[in-house]
Amino acid sequence: MVILRAGLCPGLTAEMIQLLKANGIATVVDLVSSDLEEVARKCSLSYKALVAVRRVLLAQFSAFPVNGADLYEELKSSTAILSTGSRSLDRLLDSGLYTGEVTELTGAPGSGKTQVCLSIAVSTSHDLKQNVLYVDSTGGFTASRLLQLAQTRTGDEEEQVEALQKIQVARVFDVYKMLDVLQELRCSVSQQVLSSSGPVKVLVVDSVSAVICPLLGGRQAEGLALMMQLARELKTLARELSMAVVVTNHVTRDGSSGHLKPALGRSWSFVPSTRVLLESREGTWGKASTRRIASLTKSSRQPTGIEVELDIGSCGVLEESPAASGEGR
Amino acid sequence: MSDGFRKAESGSQLLARLEGRSSLKNLEPCLFADEGFPIHGDVVEFHGPEGTGKTEMLYHLIARCVLPKSGGGLEVEVMFIDTDYHFDMLRLVTILEHRLSQSTEEMIKQCLGRLFLVNCSSSTQLLLTLYSLENKFFAHPSLCIVILDSISAFYWIDRSNGGESFNIQEMNLKRCAEFLEKLVREHHLALFATTQTIMQKSSNSTESSIHLKLHCEADVEYRPYLCKSWQQMVTHRIFFSKQCNFNSSKTFSIVSCHTKKNHVIKCSFSVAECGVQF
Repeated sequence: MVILRAGLCPGLTAEMIQLLKANGIATVVDLVSSDLEEVARKCSLSYKALVAVRRVLLAQFSAFPVNGADLYEELKSSTAILSTGSRSLDRLLDSGLYTGEVTELTGAPGSGKTQVCLSIAVSTSHDLKQNVLYVDSTGGFTASRLLQLAQTRTGDEEEQVEALQKIQVARVFDVYKMLDVLQELRCSVSQQVLSSSGPVKVLVVDSVSAVICPLLGGRQAEGLALMMQLARELKTLARELSMAVVVTNHVTRDGSSGHLKPALGRSWSFVPSTRVLLESREGTWGKASTRRIASLTKSSRQPTGIEVELDIGSCGVLEESPAASGEGR
Repeated sequence: MSDGFRKAESGSQLLARLEGRSSLKNLEPCLFADEGFPIHGDVVEFHGPEGTGKTEMLYHLIARCVLPKSGGGLEVEVMFIDTDYHFDMLRLVTILEHRLSQSTEEMIKQCLGRLFLVNCSSSTQLLLTLYSLENKFFAHPSLCIVILDSISAFYWIDRSNGGESFNIQEMNLKRCAEFLEKLVREHHLALFATTQTIMQKSSNSTESSIHLKLHCEADVEYRPYLCKSWQQMVTHRIFFSKQCNFNSSKTFSIVSCHTKKNHVIKCSFSVAECGVQF
């Protein structure tokens, strides 16, 4: 709801605004949707001036259509596929995390979501030498674990430090702080404030449900509106800044069928483009196993239902790197 | 625009408007309960929960429209309004590559040149964008399909911004729906819009009116939540659902209802690398 004010666009003077207000036209939408002939008559303003102002306002506030061929050219050069550091997980995700998309990891507590996130962060910062922003809302992030993972990639201390320096961490515990962090990220990129080594390529949010679940329930739409706003921020960051966004989410049991389904409800289920479910099959492997099954539950590129096995041992889900001289599994 | 009444149209604009748009015959016979093809002025709503193939069906329609006549398409232009950053260009290109017999970069670019994309980030921006798109329809007579994915994306945000009054909450969407209806009528377009199933099926039987009885007969889970203006302008409502077969191949089924004539048609499809297959 943009309110008309002087100087909003050239040609929109303060007296014009006063006259319009007197006739019930206060916002941009009001002006654009009204019959300009009538308005010109009632407010005794110049029709030509009104048409010109309308055109400028529309150009300023509406979105521009892009031709498909141009968009394709742009995407070809800006889309990247980032390997997660684990060959089986890459196979599940059709060679890795795609920039411009939101990928969701769902699973019960203890299924390994945080471990996978940490592994992705280290793999991106060390192997791919790209910056990572890790937003932690559960308190499950520990720098020592990150160091341990970095040590499995390389024995050289300097390289380890370099890898860790590329990972920024933000600890947030409510949705407003999370929105602030995301806005700050957007502003810093748009103002071209570069960190020492370039823009953030991977955004990890662990987890989204921890900040949203307290808001849901009850009859007010506010919680859902905040959730959709957060979803919109994440998708905008992914698309416009060419980032790969990874979020984690809990699971609940479906009331009628008893199947596991992602938490946060139907409205959220439309948000991620790819969804992976992590489970531990305690029946087959016993309680203390570090093996997990990751299955693809939503994808626009591959058939769902593909399953791979992951091991979240001391190396996270990262594969043995030939350069590592640290402990093996 | 309501000041278009006195604004002089140029000769070409007049012809473009009156001559009618290209015929959309054979767009997709399986989807339409009646005639078999959408006639201009039709408003088709795709409704269904997540993962039921609505976006895939849209890619299928876009492919059918932008492919050249030699490739089995209709060679018409499509305007795609994306409200939740859902559109995956690479997926569309994969589908086009599979459908063209010789898929060179040139051919793909030519097909994509018939597609226009707009991203809207709020219902206010959607409304203003619709106003500014009107000129585009005048300038491109072969632009006869508008796809809106999805029109329900701002539902919760609008409801929270509108305060206590339902009217204010629905105001933006109502204006969008009314303006869309005007555009569709004046420029002889066909509009396809997706809505997401975000409400649970109402177990309260007094809520279902005669209007919904048709849907109960057709055995679909439908609970209308968008404003009345939108619900009244829809001519075809197509419900998507997922089916798991015994041989574990996933197929999707659609039930297509014509809102005015009470026809119901069901069919099913599956999604492969090359897109939707009936």
